[in-house]
Amino acid sequence: MAKILIPTALRQFTEEKDAVDVNGGTVAEALTQLTAQYPNIKKNLFNDQGRLRSFVNVYVNDEDIRYLDKDATKLEGTETISIVPSIAGGAIGVAEPAAVSLSNEEIARYSRHLLLPEVGMEGQLKLKQAKVALIGAGGLGAPLGLYLAAAGIGRIGVVDFDVVDSSNLQRQVIHGTSDIGRKKLDSAADRMRDINPNVRIDKFDTGLTSENALEILKDYDIVVDGTDNFPTRYLVNDACVLLKKPNVYGSIFRFEGQATVFAYEDGPCYRCLYPEPPPPGLVPSCAEGGVLGILPGAIGVIQATETVKLILGVGETLKGRLLLYDALNMRFRELKLRRDRNCPVCGDHPTVTKLIDYQEFCGIRPTPPQAAAPIGDVIDVTEVKQKLDRGDSFVLIDVREPYEYQIARIPGAKLIPLGELPKRLSELDRDADTVMHCRSGARSQKAVDLLKQNGFKHVRNMTGGILAWSDKVDPSVPKY
Amino acid sequence: MIQIEPNPWQTMVLHAERTYPNECCGAMLGRVSGDQKVVTDAVPLANAYLGEQGERYELRPEDLLEADKAARSRGLDLIGIFHSHPDCDAYFSQTDLQNSCPWYSFVVLSIQRGKFDHANSFLPDLEQTRADEEELIWPKS
Repeated sequence: MAKILIPTALRQFTEEKDAVDVNGGTVAEALTQLTAQYPNIKKNLFNDQGRLRSFVNVYVNDEDIRYLDKDATKLEGTETISIVPSIAGGAIGVAEPAAVSLSNEEIARYSRHLLLPEVGMEGQLKLKQAKVALIGAGGLGAPLGLYLAAAGIGRIGVVDFDVVDSSNLQRQVIHGTSDIGRKKLDSAADRMRDINPNVRIDKFDTGLTSENALEILKDYDIVVDGTDNFPTRYLVNDACVLLKKPNVYGSIFRFEGQATVFAYEDGPCYRCLYPEPPPPGLVPSCAEGGVLGILPGAIGVIQATETVKLILGVGETLKGRLLLYDALNMRFRELKLRRDRNCPVCGDHPTVTKLIDYQEFCGIRPTPPQAAAPIGDVIDVTEVKQKLDRGDSFVLIDVREPYEYQIARIPGAKLIPLGELPKRLSELDRDADTVMHCRSGARSQKAVDLLKQNGFKHVRNMTGGILAWSDKVDPSVPKY
Repeated sequence: MIQIEPNPWQTMVLHAERTYPNECCGAMLGRVSGDQKVVTDAVPLANAYLGEQGERYELRPEDLLEADKAARSRGLDLIGIFHSHPDCDAYFSQTDLQNSCPWYSFVVLSIQRGKFDHANSFLPDLEQTRADEEELIWPKS
């Protein structure tokens, strides 16, 4: 009698026996005996055509019968027969694009898409096979992540290194109050998975840099730019041109937004529109200038729409058109854009053929703030507090804007907005002990420099600004 | 529902993190009662895929046979297979599905930048056409 060892998972079909004795001159006969004795095991080993299932391997002693005489392998009656599944897998499916189809769950989920002739089954399968890189999980990234996941994009790569802060929640609706302190990447991925578990999400916990951009973006069909700064915007643009991938662009500021599609077919790129970055500090970021919370919703949804249209290949895209949105007056306008033949990246004779240092390109020096402010020119918030408490004779100047002063202030500070400072120098005493402060310490450093150039001798910058004041001195002062 | 005890869980995560950026694989041993599975032992196994292992794995049948024997000798069942997806979601890919076996729970660990991120468990069907997600409980700490 030969002995068939039963894998633990199949013992439920053999009355929990771990081995079954069989007669039979061949492996086929032995297995037939096994299935005759325990009929329920049959469908686990054989398919409807009566062939061994593809994942079932049969071993006689230590030999795979595929390398013997298959199921005609002869048995003498002393052998041990083992049933061993073959198991493999992998994150990337080599056969994936060809094998793509919609499950019943997906058909129900996407039924409103399937009803649209412009989408239909064919379009929904295109969406499922599409790979979209989303740069940033912030203001624009929030609506983008939500809608692209819901639309059934097969694979979404999200690049972000930031952490959810309470000041994000006014607009970054993919994150919730309970996510404060979590990585935006984790918070966004959880929400996207909850909306649509069919979407594969690749998380890149990093900033996009010249070193990693091509490597990260090369696997995706479309890049959606949800960044908030110029160096990354130029980086995304150049990487997209070099990789020949469309760049779905959006940007927001206060009440106004822009959107278009760059680097698509014969259309222009970001550099055709803006060959040079603005001088650093000229265009405030959302953190400095503020932004209507709903604005990124509107612009991000336009970007998501363009992304889906690019994948489906339907309608007219924003290629060659810069859409301008003014939320305050609720107006949309359009500017025509053309590819610049002399563009350094996408022109006829490009001079930028690999990624460069975009911080440097945008005039941002990587020098740490300590180096910019020599020791002796700075003062800590706690020391300022001591001076105030002691009644020291000194002047504390707040260089923020009046509306910021309304949100939070330090008692005893005199408000002179940075922009007014040059023409109000006469109000100040050049020999007085003077401390400048703003929100975080950046603008007040400029004010310190200005005063020094004008002959002020004892002027210092309060490091960390009113934010540090709130952290270290008086938590009742709100942070904004 | 499949529950993984702290010791085997530590073994699995360590194996996955150490194998990063390649995919790791291994067997899970434990006890089954009805739909409730408890993993008490994890056995790291070699990735036998010939080629780039960053996105593929393959189990040697001999190793699986050994794992099954090990389970028997400890009075346990071989109840599942685990593998990792480096820098990728813990989903059940078409490759996973087409090379799966319905006798086991398949636990996929997502390793992001070398660190464990999240995991899911799947139950593939006989025809290798679909896999249902199975509730997975691992020690959170």
